[in-house]
Amino acid sequence: MQYFLDQVISGIAIGAIYGLVAMGFAVIYKSTGLANFAQGEMTMLIAYVAWSIAGAAPGGPWLVAGGALAAAVLLGLAIERLIMRPMLGEPVFATVMVTIGLSVVLRSVILLIWDPYPHALDIGVGRDIVHVGGTGMRSGQLAVIAALLAALGAFWGFFRYSRVGKAMRAVASDDRTAQLMGINAARIHAVAWVASSVIAGVAGVFFALLYDVSPNMFHLGLKAFPASILGGLDSVLGAGFGGILMGIAENLAGGYLAPSAKEIAGFVIIIAVLMVRPFGLFGERDIERV
Amino acid sequence: MRSGNYKESVAELIVLSDSAIVWVWSAILVLLLAAAPYLLNSYALSFVILILITGTGALGLHLLTGSTGLISLGHVGFLLLGAYAYAVPVAKYGASPLVGLLLAGVVPALASVVVGLPSLRLKGLYLAITTLAFSFIISHIVLQMSWLTNGARGLAVARPELFGIDFDSDARFAHLCLLVAAATLFAVLNIERSRVGRAFMAVRDNDIAARTMGVNLESYKLRAFMASAFFSGIAGALFGTYLSFVSVDGFPFLMSIEALAILIVGGLGSTLGAVIGTVFIVLLPEAGRVALSLLGANAEKLFSTGAHELRSVLYGVVIILFLRFEPRGLAGLWRDVKRLWVNWPLRF
Repeated sequence: MQYFLDQVISGIAIGAIYGLVAMGFAVIYKSTGLANFAQGEMTMLIAYVAWSIAGAAPGGPWLVAGGALAAAVLLGLAIERLIMRPMLGEPVFATVMVTIGLSVVLRSVILLIWDPYPHALDIGVGRDIVHVGGTGMRSGQLAVIAALLAALGAFWGFFRYSRVGKAMRAVASDDRTAQLMGINAARIHAVAWVASSVIAGVAGVFFALLYDVSPNMFHLGLKAFPASILGGLDSVLGAGFGGILMGIAENLAGGYLAPSAKEIAGFVIIIAVLMVRPFGLFGERDIERV
Repeated sequence: MRSGNYKESVAELIVLSDSAIVWVWSAILVLLLAAAPYLLNSYALSFVILILITGTGALGLHLLTGSTGLISLGHVGFLLLGAYAYAVPVAKYGASPLVGLLLAGVVPALASVVVGLPSLRLKGLYLAITTLAFSFIISHIVLQMSWLTNGARGLAVARPELFGIDFDSDARFAHLCLLVAAATLFAVLNIERSRVGRAFMAVRDNDIAARTMGVNLESYKLRAFMASAFFSGIAGALFGTYLSFVSVDGFPFLMSIEALAILIVGGLGSTLGAVIGTVFIVLLPEAGRVALSLLGANAEKLFSTGAHELRSVLYGVVIILFLRFEPRGLAGLWRDVKRLWVNWPLRF
């Protein structure tokens, strides 16, 4: 029983990171209607920037957090302005392929700039052990769960009550009509990319704190895909909970079946889920009119 | 002087090409490719072989993504399965290479039914992600079944001997690849002008309308998956035998991206585009290397240390640039050039 609990709790912690990355997917999908295949790479890039800052200026956690945040905002703005905005109005297939191209470029550029070895991001926080219900957890793990819950709450309120959030939903559902209603669709897309990039940055820095920065970090994106599918691509809250479910499932598969089953547990789950509910667990059913 | 292009029967409409010139040029191209092993040095010949093998695989993906409009991000899974379906019986159990080649097509085709079944309910992105998941599951299963596949150590495969001809040398192997690639091209062109091919395109253009016209979506989507996996599997087997070694690491995820890049650069939905795109993408890293070497020794050193990364960057940038500036791809450019040639100095 203790073993089971350990697995579940560490599953929730890693699942919270998946959940954050998956929320990044969902924010972009919800406001621009496209899946951003470069989410994992954005996460990785910001984690590397944070690691470089921590190495260059040992000024403590706040400097690293501020630097990573600034990098995330810049990255989101740059991608939206330079790459995605020219694709506005093109078919979904084309824009999605552009994000795939972007992911390949980012991944390789990171390898060209930094080296291919894993590094620990040590800024003196998040490593001490806290006891929760009989199991030891690192404070960083607790913090990432808190960050996920905070992000979930913030986005729920944002989409439901704020003017910009409602505009985002309008643009996602039909950007032409939204523009006719006086919404600046390009600006809404920019906001979405920045928000998604910031969430990716939070996930990336937490991952680097708890594990390490390495060129394999883009796998986070591949792991978060099942999570966002599980929750339904258009449901930001579903994506967050999907991440936690995925983390638990993955850890249980790794703990009880075989260590290697951990890698593909998520993929098996999404295929099974999509067979039963082709629009995800919390997604809205798409009704097509001819 | 010809005043127009008049068709009087269905047969004339769907004929492969009504122009004698196209047939003559195609025959010259095939003859040149057949003579290539004797004219080119071994370095250039390796590119010809790669183009022929990659072209076979790209034509396979073209049937699924280009003709039927089902996006697959996991095509490398079919290549991998094909390579192992050839290598395991031939290298491990001493089966005839012919049986191996047949299995290399049939095994991925059967596996594609498993992927295709969820695709009946899924669309667009959800389907892309399912295929992505499938390719990871396949490589995981191959690694796990080490009693059959030798796991991560891989399998060594000898070049085959078919009908008493030994395909051990690169020159002979190029002929085998040419044969397979030409047969695949013919098969794809003929599928596209048949009832099945027209149904594929109807599904791509508007699946609800296609269904209303009596196209059985389930059946045709599965057929597209099976045909696509069949050709890709054979390409995978050829690739494995060309390298004389089959392993999971030999089929990285980048190959799925490369295949999609070929279709996009060539022009999505065009068979000619798949062929031109293959030539372009296979030669792209080499062209990049030559361009960098012109910049000086330092730049060339960068290429030798980060070759794999620079190649990925090139693929990514090419995908983005083509989607941004020429979504019809090289095939679209070629059509413009032809029209300019015929109509000049008039615009239309």
